[in-house]
Amino acid sequence: MKKGQPQKSRARFLGALALITIAFGLYWALVQAPRDALQGDVQRIMYLHLPSILTAYLSFFLVFIGSCLYLWKREKRDDNLAHSAAELGVLFTALTIIEGSIWGKPTWGVWWTWDARLTLTAILLLIYSGYLMLRSLIDDEDRAALSAAILGIVGFLDIPLIHMSVYWWRTLHQPPSILRPDKLPWENVHPAMLTALAINFVGFLLLYFYLLSLRLHLGEVRSEIKTRRLNQGAF
Amino acid sequence: MGSWGFVFLAYGIVWGCIVTYLFALKRRVRCAEEELMQLRAPEESSDHDKK
Repeated sequence: MKKGQPQKSRARFLGALALITIAFGLYWALVQAPRDALQGDVQRIMYLHLPSILTAYLSFFLVFIGSCLYLWKREKRDDNLAHSAAELGVLFTALTIIEGSIWGKPTWGVWWTWDARLTLTAILLLIYSGYLMLRSLIDDEDRAALSAAILGIVGFLDIPLIHMSVYWWRTLHQPPSILRPDKLPWENVHPAMLTALAINFVGFLLLYFYLLSLRLHLGEVRSEIKTRRLNQGAF
Repeated sequence: MGSWGFVFLAYGIVWGCIVTYLFALKRRVRCAEEELMQLRAPEESSDHDKK
């Protein structure tokens, strides 16, 4: 399957737009945004940390949607969406944990602690790493897709737990600063900080959809290779 | 390590990982496309012979 020229141009445009937005976001995060009154400059890690985890949540939501659609219609396209989104979700979750660990050392004095939110995020990473391993361990493509779809749906239940963990348990991780039920974001956060966060979030989203378009294309090409090999009797 | 040291460490690791993943993904796409072209080549040449 050859990627069509308009599709390739769209992907390139998305990639270029992501690059420009990320450069602009870096400038806002490292130069324009003010120093935090309590944490100092180390708080600038937030401009990476929050967009990373929100992108990971979006990715696992797409795994959930793709998995539900696959169980319903059994179409390879939906399975490809779930598989591609899971790979990207694992990447962004791992990055979130790394950023959090680097932020935690100067703020809490430790690289890692078995706090409810941190532990549940590590479990999320393990679930979807397991999802990718499961797919590679089962040879029968349909069985692998079916087992992965069930795990993809069950694994998504961890996300509401992560979000609510700071309310349900006494945790070291701070409660949300932006998505608070009692205050609007601009009542709680400096406008320049909010702008830096918004630009970085848009940059991460554009980058995510660029990477997803590449990963989906890879899934389509691989699927066609398998079909052609089966038809030629190579397996 | 000072505050900026932690900030640059976080930004360096994150963008380093993302760029590495992007290049690895592009390489995987290119390899898969080449494999597909090789599989298509005999069919296309037989179609050409028929014409």
